[in-house]
Amino acid sequence: MTESQVGRPVSRVDGVAKVTGAARYAADAEVRGVTHAVLVMSTVARGRVTAVDTAGASAAPGVLGVFTHQNLARLALPSPAVAFLKRFLPVQDDLIRHAGQPVAIVVADTLERAQQASGLVGVSYRAEPPRVVLADDMGEAYIPPQTNDGANDYVRGDVAAGLAAAHAVAETTYTTPMQHHNALEPSVTVAAWDGDRLTVHESTQGISNTQNALMQAFGLARENVRVLSPYLGGGFGAKGPVWPHTVLTAAVARQVGRPVKLVLTRAQAYTSNGHRAETHQVLRVGAARDGRLTAIQHTVTQQVSRTEDALLNSSEPTRILYACPNVRSTQQAVRLDLPMGSFVRSPETATSHALESTLDELSYTLGLDPVELRVRNWSATNQESGERHGSSYLRECYERGAERFGWSRRDPRPGSMRDRDGLIGWGMATAAHTAGGRPGSSATVTIGVDGTARIRSGTQDLGTGTYTVMRQLGAEVLGLRLRGVRFDLGDSAFPAAFASAASATVPSVGAGVVRAATAARDRVIALAVADPDSPLHGAAPDQVSVGDGDLFLTERPSRRVGYRQVMRRHGRLIEVTSEAVFAPMGYSVGATFVEVHVDPVLGRVQVRRMVGVFDCGRVLNHRTARSQAIGGAIWAIGFTLSEHTLVDPNLGRIVTPNLSGYLVPVNADVPDIDVSFIDKPDPSSPALGARGFGETPMTGVTAAIGNAVYHATGHRIRDLPITQDKIIAALS
Amino acid sequence: MSEEDPTRRTVIKVGAAVAAVATAAPALPDVAEAKAAVTDTARISLKVNGVTHRQELEARVTLLDALRERIGLTGTKKGCDRGECGACTVLVDGRRIKSCLTLAVMQQGREITTVEGLARGDALHPVQAAFIRNDGFQCGFCTPGQLMSAVACVHEGHTGSDDEIREWMSGNLCRCGCYPNIVASVRQAAKEMS
Amino acid sequence: MDAFAYTRADQPERAVRLAADPRARYIAGGTDLLNLMKDGVQRHDHLIDISALPLADVRESGGRIRLGALSRMSDVAVHQAVRRRLPVLSQALLAGASPQVRNMASLGGNLLQRTRCWYFRDPTMPCNRREPGSGCPALDGLNRWHAIVGGSDHCIAVHPSDLAVALTALDATVRTLSAEGPREIPMAGFYLPPGDTPHLETALRQGELITGIDVPVTELAAGSTYLKVRDRATFEFAVVSVAALVRLRGEEVREARLAFGGIAPRPWRSEAAEQALIGRPLNAATIEAAGAALVRDARPRAHNAFKVPLVQRALSDILGQFGRNR
Repeated sequence: MTESQVGRPVSRVDGVAKVTGAARYAADAEVRGVTHAVLVMSTVARGRVTAVDTAGASAAPGVLGVFTHQNLARLALPSPAVAFLKRFLPVQDDLIRHAGQPVAIVVADTLERAQQASGLVGVSYRAEPPRVVLADDMGEAYIPPQTNDGANDYVRGDVAAGLAAAHAVAETTYTTPMQHHNALEPSVTVAAWDGDRLTVHESTQGISNTQNALMQAFGLARENVRVLSPYLGGGFGAKGPVWPHTVLTAAVARQVGRPVKLVLTRAQAYTSNGHRAETHQVLRVGAARDGRLTAIQHTVTQQVSRTEDALLNSSEPTRILYACPNVRSTQQAVRLDLPMGSFVRSPETATSHALESTLDELSYTLGLDPVELRVRNWSATNQESGERHGSSYLRECYERGAERFGWSRRDPRPGSMRDRDGLIGWGMATAAHTAGGRPGSSATVTIGVDGTARIRSGTQDLGTGTYTVMRQLGAEVLGLRLRGVRFDLGDSAFPAAFASAASATVPSVGAGVVRAATAARDRVIALAVADPDSPLHGAAPDQVSVGDGDLFLTERPSRRVGYRQVMRRHGRLIEVTSEAVFAPMGYSVGATFVEVHVDPVLGRVQVRRMVGVFDCGRVLNHRTARSQAIGGAIWAIGFTLSEHTLVDPNLGRIVTPNLSGYLVPVNADVPDIDVSFIDKPDPSSPALGARGFGETPMTGVTAAIGNAVYHATGHRIRDLPITQDKIIAALS
Repeated sequence: MSEEDPTRRTVIKVGAAVAAVATAAPALPDVAEAKAAVTDTARISLKVNGVTHRQELEARVTLLDALRERIGLTGTKKGCDRGECGACTVLVDGRRIKSCLTLAVMQQGREITTVEGLARGDALHPVQAAFIRNDGFQCGFCTPGQLMSAVACVHEGHTGSDDEIREWMSGNLCRCGCYPNIVASVRQAAKEMS
Repeated sequence: MDAFAYTRADQPERAVRLAADPRARYIAGGTDLLNLMKDGVQRHDHLIDISALPLADVRESGGRIRLGALSRMSDVAVHQAVRRRLPVLSQALLAGASPQVRNMASLGGNLLQRTRCWYFRDPTMPCNRREPGSGCPALDGLNRWHAIVGGSDHCIAVHPSDLAVALTALDATVRTLSAEGPREIPMAGFYLPPGDTPHLETALRQGELITGIDVPVTELAAGSTYLKVRDRATFEFAVVSVAALVRLRGEEVREARLAFGGIAPRPWRSEAAEQALIGRPLNAATIEAAGAALVRDARPRAHNAFKVPLVQRALSDILGQFGRNR
């Protein structure tokens, strides 16, 4: 038996670099003569810049340039097709579209001097009163045009008839607040020009998009723009699109004639990278007496900006997940004087939360166990496309999850379970998210004369384990040991890959690696069977297998030859680059179970226990996959219990642009989390049976927490986050 | 910095006046004792991971920026620059602190340890090894701070239970969401270091 | 941060002489000052580093525990005498900030940390406390974390220090040194009410140096405890907090001192609540009466009305602990 390279819980191959401080993130890049840029942000939310006084800043020590819309070069606005979603470039005109929009850029020789000089830039505004409160402007809601992520007014069947025929109908309104990514690494651009050649060290989830956007902004040829991102300090969507600060940094670097480093401050990141837009959701879900869904009507209204109206809180689970003949999903927008919303880890979490919470409400109306309600509405088919999922073991997830959690011991009556000092609640929900359905990626496999392989692809590792699982995939296909394979990423000089987003890395990049490795392996096999001195001479190529660094006859494994011998005799390296093939869409699912403790006096909710069982096809690496799952669960704790960005209703400005007012979970908020996988290959996968997974595990958990709070207290808190003030108001 | 450029020295003086305009006060107090004050830059020496680094620094440079931007030790990370995330945690005389909240000039004469100073050659520190074994990180950006806090947490004796580890590791945020694995890493390292 | 001059002081007297200049400021741990300077909330031309002054010891003498102003939060929190005789102080210190910051922050600096009010912390927003007369956006804006008692029409920011709440309940005294010599300021008079001068926060004069804090050691203090309520498990400022010193004989409350955090612009001692307890049995009715007395003059705003029941519940929770421990 040869040792399989996938499936094992391999330690991260970038682990040593990360624990020794050797891993160089964008801001750590060594660039000779680098200078420092600091942005000056608009302090009003709407209006115009009437004057900018740059005299003090320009005269300050060490200052190399002060740039405003009056002296910054004109730049071309890159297109949404290269993920430049924002529809304007700041510092190009006097218009203020939102607070925290760059209005000036200061470059100085040291960071401290740039910071001090940025405080000397005097900006005068003609301010207009902003409108920033979603609830106040619900009357302005409209349905924006359709985008790649589906119709904004989706209908199947006849919802009115379905609701009329229902035995029970749950009608609910759920609201979710503005939230921010807060990757620990703030966005960074280090731009250096050499004549017309631009090199950028960038904290990005998509070096190809960054490269393309810079080409468009400056009118440069592809070979003149190089983007590097070997390590990324988290992204969660913040670094998925290309944002203006990247282009602006390159622009000022060109104008001062020195390399420039820009590190967004934590506060600036709150208005520079998008956010999870506030939502207002109305649901009507009808079911027959046996629990079968007869209709779902889901209307989501979310904040958009004055200049963009992309809707990122898509109602995907409503359309796809449950067997229901009559569905209407309407996604509406309300324009406000705020920055544009964007992707934030598992963007469908907001709509999943409302749907899965409403199903829990329905389960009580029907008197049906919430697990059973979901089992009865399970479908093997994507309900929107009508196509069968490649595989779906969701029912097995429910079953195993309930067993691991001990669900059968649950007394369903709200308020019925307690411990010494408080109320106990158990809740559950379905996790589900699409994975892939995005453009494909290329990879190059090079097999050296020493029989080792180097694989390159212009992808990124934002902490998900790309370095590790791509090496595993390559080793598995080639039949080499892990140490015989190297995987490099994060350089736009490598074959282009899709962004690290949309749970697409495994089906897009993974498939590219598999294709390239397969072709390279076949060429080595061809050499081995053609070589008269080879033990495999004359064998049919399809009778040759690989493993443990050798090629051998499938039927007679003792007849074998090492990669090293074959390649040494060949004397030249073999190199194969795969074509990018569109990555099929998978659906990764799971069942999540949560226990909460509620302090009946102080209203504090503590998550005590979590169980998640997931079906993401074959698991490439149990260690990194488990980490993705616990990460999603922890995000769900923040989403449900503590995270909300507050915007002053009069000033139109975010008042919590930090990590002390905006509360992400800390270690002490998080219990042990039990994660397991069905781990059965999806036959439709182009990546050895694996599906994308990253976004699935956050979905479901938020509703499971809210459902557990209801079970503990008998009160539904339909406005997130579930802070103690809401609990004590309900309990009073 | 190009301190050898004589014209730039002049600019610094002008700059002090510009700063004074902003704050409506001259830079130096008129007190005899103030003669010893560091006015624009001073030569300071920092002992980091056993090596003494001499730097020409302004007083306002934080220990974090001195490590990263001057000395070139970029393992220590800046996540918020306000003491709210813990990514910049280092040890000073064995105690964990946030290097963004102190001035480099204040840390002269102390033993500073950063993530680069944990391993002995190729031999990882038990905390580093435990973080790898338990997958105590994903993106790795908060990791240097987590590691320094973990070393201190073990030395302080705050590893009596998982709940105690959770509480005493809560000054370090991890946004990828590795907390249970960090707790497991600290638990294991504590066992090995005892 | 704007450039500044820096001097390391080795003697308190020298530090005080240097700080007579209004452009100078002391720096000890730096954990709040540097943030305020980075954000441009404060600008100082001269920082006097007092961290090396010999003011970092903790001693017990003459019925008091004398805390050096430069002792670190973490050291004081685990000091044997403090843990045994002033448990509320140890608990309040350990409830504050993070382990790293507790290793840096001095007690004196902790008392002088400034409000976390988001309008105060951003110098591009109006704030009467930072810029007298510029207005207070919190009154009609976002005030979830703001004061329900003791505020004014000029400022409703809350004081963030847990330590100050404990010291207020313990009736501590702040010792200082200035050009005029040493003096003592009782905690009760250390913080000024905002009134129409919210920018005047403490009784300290220009250049006056906190040298220490004296805490009386009493039977009452030995039975003390701290409760901090917040929106995440730890590493957060208080939404509300209670420092309670209660001495019982049988069921009857003989003595009580109560101070609250998160509800007022300064640590909030409630003698009304104390009086509602003293001489009465510690039962549900008494606790409810104390809670009612505490919030009798509460003036909640649009988003912080929840603090009125929450602080009463916190009081009831902590007093319940005394009942159970009896």
